[in-house]
Amino acid sequence: MMQGNIWISTNLLGFAQSMTLVLRFQTRPSFGRAIFAHGSSSEPNSNSQFKGLKVILADDDDLNRTVTKKLLEKLGCHVTAVSSGFECLSALSAAENSFQIVLLDLHMPEMDGFEVALRIRKLRSQNWPLIIALTASAEEHVLERCLQIGISGVIRKPVLLQGMADELRRVL
Amino acid sequence: MDVVVQLQRQLADHTASLFHEGFLNEQFNQLQQLQDESNPDFVVEVVSLFFEDSERLLNELAKALEQQAVDYKKVDAHVHQLKGSSSSIGAQRVQGVCIPFRNFCEEQNNEGCLKCLQQVKHEYSLVKNKLETLFKLEQQLIAAGGSFPTL
Repeated sequence: MMQGNIWISTNLLGFAQSMTLVLRFQTRPSFGRAIFAHGSSSEPNSNSQFKGLKVILADDDDLNRTVTKKLLEKLGCHVTAVSSGFECLSALSAAENSFQIVLLDLHMPEMDGFEVALRIRKLRSQNWPLIIALTASAEEHVLERCLQIGISGVIRKPVLLQGMADELRRVL
Repeated sequence: MDVVVQLQRQLADHTASLFHEGFLNEQFNQLQQLQDESNPDFVVEVVSLFFEDSERLLNELAKALEQQAVDYKKVDAHVHQLKGSSSSIGAQRVQGVCIPFRNFCEEQNNEGCLKCLQQVKHEYSLVKNKLETLFKLEQQLIAAGGSFPTL
């Protein structure tokens, strides 16, 4: 009737994440881009829940780092982004910094996420930031290894807003 | 006919076809959701990063596969990177070719790798063109006085 189209895309857990609606109207100028309607209704809550959360993000890939950083900021986090394990450890060692969460890409070239996590655990006995790993892999042994090292959570890449919010909520 | 409405239709149609034909997936939606007033050009910036990254990687791949003694680990590392970045922006078809590409690397299959390289180059240039058209339509729409709500 309206010569339109509607479809729902779901995230990894099967929850409806966004609804796409294409309609043809004559008089509603704001509809041009409304194809990509709002995400889940829990987003506003996430913003306040994670507000001011200090996160350090380590990912060697520029593009991924940019996207993940923006995603975290959207959730209300205060993000420091670095591109290597070394930089991450330096930032954590600096006395004035106190990060609550460390987000580590497991597959960085010089020092991988596992190595960084191990060193973080050795670094500080007082300030224990929660470590969450970022990985494209879904293999069991990766998850096991994470748990053994003291990594509190794992998020699969590519990262989705809802996936990040869920995992952060879970570990906090 | 109102230019704004016409452009909106074009933009809507073009975007819809990108998804229907599998060039983009929901990850691209994700990027658009991250765009807001504080970062109004976020999507364009990220996609530009993707273009730069990809072109560099495709060059590296071509070079690496031309060598007398191909270093398949290196080739695989590049493909892994390309797979990661294409999946981050939702460039589904590019990401898709990376999977068999990596398998060929593991098998050290030179012919397979070269075929995949051609394919991934092809998919990349297709999605690049389509995204550039998308951005152009958006710019035209804004220039014509129309707008689209940033989420």
